Amino acid sequence: MDRLKGLRTFLLITGVVALGLRLLHTALPVAFPETRQGPIRVERLEDVRRLAGFTPLIPGYRPATLGTGPVSMQVWLSPSPTFEVVWQQGDQYLSVTQRGGGQKPAHPPLAAALGGVPGSTWWMEGSRHHVLLERGEFWVEIETSLPEGELRRFADTLAPA
Amino acid sequence: MTYLWQVALHSAVMGSILYAWTRQVRLPSGRTKRHLLALLLVLPMVTAAIPGRGRVEFAEGTAILNSARILAVPLPGSLHLVDAFVLLAILAVAFTMWQELLPALRRPKADGTDVPGFLEAMVHGRPGWAQCVVRVSPLASVLVVTSGRPGRPQLIVSRGALDSLTAPEWEAVVAHEHAHWCDGRWWHTHALFAVRLVQCYNPVALWAFREYCNEVEIACDAVAARGRDPHLLGRVLLKFYHSTDRRDVAARGALRKRVDVLLAGGPQDHALPPLTMLAASTVLLGLLPWIV
Repeated sequence: MDRLKGLRTFLLITGVVALGLRLLHTALPVAFPETRQGPIRVERLEDVRRLAGFTPLIPGYRPATLGTGPVSMQVWLSPSPTFEVVWQQGDQYLSVTQRGGGQKPAHPPLAAALGGVPGSTWWMEGSRHHVLLERGEFWVEIETSLPEGELRRFADTLAPA
Repeated sequence: MTYLWQVALHSAVMGSILYAWTRQVRLPSGRTKRHLLALLLVLPMVTAAIPGRGRVEFAEGTAILNSARILAVPLPGSLHLVDAFVLLAILAVAFTMWQELLPALRRPKADGTDVPGFLEAMVHGRPGWAQCVVRVSPLASVLVVTSGRPGRPQLIVSRGALDSLTAPEWEAVVAHEHAHWCDGRWWHTHALFAVRLVQCYNPVALWAFREYCNEVEIACDAVAARGRDPHLLGRVLLKFYHSTDRRDVAARGALRKRVDVLLAGGPQDHALPPLTMLAASTVLLGLLPWIV
């Protein structure tokens, strides 16, 4: 045991410090919700402005098949402030993800511009349509189960909420 | 920037653990303490460089602590804790400049004239010091330091030291200064000095290096006291103490500690077994990457 003299004390102290740090990690967001890096569930668009620091871009056109209001709104603060809003009813859904800055999000190599929509990259995955839009300092990705024509209308009516 | 913060974070966590541990086991001065301080300077630079820890999924889901949460804690006046840490880092850099740069600029010129023959003979008689250049500074305070590089060492003594130290005391002082150049101490200290300069923004590294230097002084005192009455070197250290500016609390504190260790029987080089040190280092190497 003499060959490991002092190790038990070291392990005890290290364990206490690790526990204390974990407690800090867990308790901080309870005391200061804005310290959580994400995903942070938000109820109102005003919260997005407060947390992410930008005004969310929302499609003005939303067909009745998507329901009345979004089913989820989430914000990530790191690595770049990001906002995601999802409408869904049955099999039909629309998701809009807006990210401030950073590199262009990943997309398939065969993705092409969506006709008539400037700064767009469009592709399909099965029955889902994606379009990636560059809007000022933001990257906005729209994903939907609705037809391509609807995707274009979502992109055309995208505006600050 | 993220890497620099991670180094400081790991350094702070490791420093807290080691400080509490050494206090708890009452770790005396000696080789074990020097090794722990060197580890505290180097290990955070390794653990902070481990890739894959920057992803938000890892930081939020897997890590023990995501320090981004701490940095995001709001302070009054739309400030955040990150701003306070940036201020602390700027102060540490300013302190480094004040501690390292200004003394170098203010140091009075020393020249090789009026060097007492007995001192030159004593210095050149030391192994590997045949080429050592002895210089005299006009300072009235008691000052003896070595500088230079291996193969071309310099011993700088003040006029005050020449006036106040006796021949046997000079023997002990020269033995102490010579010890700085033996057993790889010069290389170890300079390598860690480079590590500390890289971490000039990190207050823990600043403190660790200062403690390391004090420990090296204690080790050199032990070499100088070998075969001599330790009270002789103790008296010399007291002369240095009384000659040091009262406002230089840190230097006076370090001298007091050196006298205490010297008169208490010197440093203990094997206070903790090597296996304990290895196990502690491994645990820290395994733990720190989970703190982001």
